Amino acid sequence: MNNTNLENYAKEITDKFSNKITKTYQNNDELHLDVELNDMPKICDYVYKNWNARLATIICSDERKNIGGFTIRYVFEKDGGFIFIIVSTGQSLSFPSIALHVPAAALYEREIKDMFGLIPTGNPDTRPLVLHEHWPDEIFPLRKEFELETKVKRQEKEYPFLRVQGEGICEIPVGPVHAGIIEPGHFRFSILGENIINLETRLFYTHKGIEKLAESLRLDEALLLSERIAGDESVANSSAFCQAIEKIAQVDIPKKAKKIRTIFAELERIYNHVGTLAGISTDASFPFGAARLNILKERLMRLNESLSGSRILFGVNRIGGVRCDITDENKKLILETLREISDDFDKIIMLLKSKSSFMDRLRGTGTIQKKIAYDLGTVGIVARCVGIDIDTRRDHPYGSYHLHNHKTPQELMQHQIEMEKRTGDALARFEIRVQEVRDSFDIIEESLNLENGALFTSIPDSLEPFRSSLGWAESHRGQTLHWVMMGENNSIFRYKIRTASFCNWSVIEQAVLNDIVPDFPLVNKSLDLSYSGNDL
Amino acid sequence: MIKAARKGIVGNGIETIKNLANLLSSKNYRGSVIFTAEPTNDQRKMLEDICPTKALFSVKENNAMGLDNGKCIMCGYCSEVVSETIKISNKPVIPVKMKSQIIDYSNPQTFPSEKSYEQIGNELKEKIQKMFSRSLAIRQVDAGSCNGCEIEITALNNPIYDIERFGIHFVASPRHADVLLVTGPASRNMETALLRTYEATPGPKIVIAVGACACSGGIFGDTHATTGGIDKVIPVDVYIPGCPPRPEVLIQGLLLAVDRMITNGK
Repeated sequence: MNNTNLENYAKEITDKFSNKITKTYQNNDELHLDVELNDMPKICDYVYKNWNARLATIICSDERKNIGGFTIRYVFEKDGGFIFIIVSTGQSLSFPSIALHVPAAALYEREIKDMFGLIPTGNPDTRPLVLHEHWPDEIFPLRKEFELETKVKRQEKEYPFLRVQGEGICEIPVGPVHAGIIEPGHFRFSILGENIINLETRLFYTHKGIEKLAESLRLDEALLLSERIAGDESVANSSAFCQAIEKIAQVDIPKKAKKIRTIFAELERIYNHVGTLAGISTDASFPFGAARLNILKERLMRLNESLSGSRILFGVNRIGGVRCDITDENKKLILETLREISDDFDKIIMLLKSKSSFMDRLRGTGTIQKKIAYDLGTVGIVARCVGIDIDTRRDHPYGSYHLHNHKTPQELMQHQIEMEKRTGDALARFEIRVQEVRDSFDIIEESLNLENGALFTSIPDSLEPFRSSLGWAESHRGQTLHWVMMGENNSIFRYKIRTASFCNWSVIEQAVLNDIVPDFPLVNKSLDLSYSGNDL
Repeated sequence: MIKAARKGIVGNGIETIKNLANLLSSKNYRGSVIFTAEPTNDQRKMLEDICPTKALFSVKENNAMGLDNGKCIMCGYCSEVVSETIKISNKPVIPVKMKSQIIDYSNPQTFPSEKSYEQIGNELKEKIQKMFSRSLAIRQVDAGSCNGCEIEITALNNPIYDIERFGIHFVASPRHADVLLVTGPASRNMETALLRTYEATPGPKIVIAVGACACSGGIFGDTHATTGGIDKVIPVDVYIPGCPPRPEVLIQGLLLAVDRMITNGK
């Protein structure tokens, strides 16, 4: 996309660290820099601080058989491109931590420690993350010698939560089995009276070993798996996976397929946003609004069903294109249903906004500071609610989003002003969701002028081993990144998934600090985080 | 005028659809896999290879093909490869009491129930009135699901399905529950929590495994991080297949569970 920009960056960094970068190469929108392990923190720091690049993900893979060590890829996002800083650990089983310079890296480093057994030296948090205390110490599931179906013994151990001590401070443990119909996770509140002094989240209860499992699957099976990373993000995740494979295979999918992917991605965004708005209404103790919005959600899910055969849009994508066609009859159905829903939606939102008790409950609740949101590397609505202007659909257009990004200078200015005004509370997130639902209606309507053509192109039967690529999509929660490296015989060598929830979960610990315990469900719902998408 | 404005906001009166029989599912819905003819040897081989969850298997003795609905995730790959013998029907698979009943064979055909959501609901309501004095309490436990089944279970509470009118409600603690509705392949990290939830539920209790993952592990299978089905951790009374099962099927599963309680587990 922004090839010239990336070339400039490549030039700048090779000038600055000339003797430290062993190899530079560029592949479309990915700039790869091979560096030595010891120089890596300095270079990462430079990229993060001087270029204001956002840490997108850290990918580790076990390449001991090929190159004699683990490879770690630090992926930074900048100006429509991705900068990969690649190091090999060689014989060493540790690597220098960058968490003190790039706070968002802390979680990735703990994940690598659990799954590969590499120690991030200098990371202040040495506790396990993915593998809970009952996993034995010497088990590293993503190492190649670990067999997928091994049943490891349980061990007795306790997880050291952060202890807050003082007069009148007590703890409330919540979960993993929650009171509502939601996914499992543990929250440890330290409270003084009703005020939350500290919140610690402990997740990964739904860890199913998806990344390890993918290494034993065929590509079309892995596609089904990618849909089930998080049931409500099925289109976003499978699109990202398909794009990664399509980039490895170097095929361009038909225009029609791109548009259909866009339509389904937006349908997914609408039904989830409407569901989240209903949830916010429930948690703000206004069940009437929730009931009305839930009716809309049900109607949208029925629309999903008649278009794709699944109420939550499973089975839309295939590698090289899409599986479901949108016929003229379907186009009519989509337009009619969406017009009806859009009318009703506007009425309900008007009603909600006219209720001062509802608006008061949202205003100033769960406020996030812009600095914290930036440091933790948040994405999606959580970032946009504090005015960090990122949206994968615009920054890295995929599908047919490049057709919807044209804004007049006036619109751009208005957008800028609106971003400046955003306050980072639950109300800001509520309003952004409402706006995004309306935008999605427009995008779908604009996309319905489908060309005639094939639904998919075939991809080569065997893909080149050890080629890798990054695929991305903007789910309703934010950016989701899928990195795939092919292995021999068309198998998957490494499949790294980073959904928006992984970036956004840590912000909740900060968002609740000025609030009382009864506000927690509302704050949690307004952030709309996925447990399954985080835990993998 | 006020009346008209109110109608605009509030909606058109009762939203609960009384006759869902015809609206049950659209013709495209992937509800179940049905054999239309006996697969040949070659086709059986192809089907076994293509099925991502090994739901389709050959039965050696009578050259038939078996379909484990508890494993099927309705991806539809089989009907794309061998469209002559297998088709995807929009009738969802019905819940069963025993794991052996979940399997269909290519020679004897079983057809899913034709009852509407409303009929089942009313039948259920009568039984709940007798057995539980008008209230059946459910605790939902997510043991590693992808959140797909949760979306459908939440849909039971929306004004269209409105399960509370049949005397069923979701409770916040297993100590208040008669039924545990469990989803997910029972991830290893949730094993202890699931077991403790089960122990905390007062007897007589019924456990319902919801979705392909809960029935068999589904696409996540039986690996280092999962246990391969809820019944590996706690005893299961009713299996509801589907990926995810739609609300109409969930309520059928509840009816079956209540039946089972009335007949003391038979």
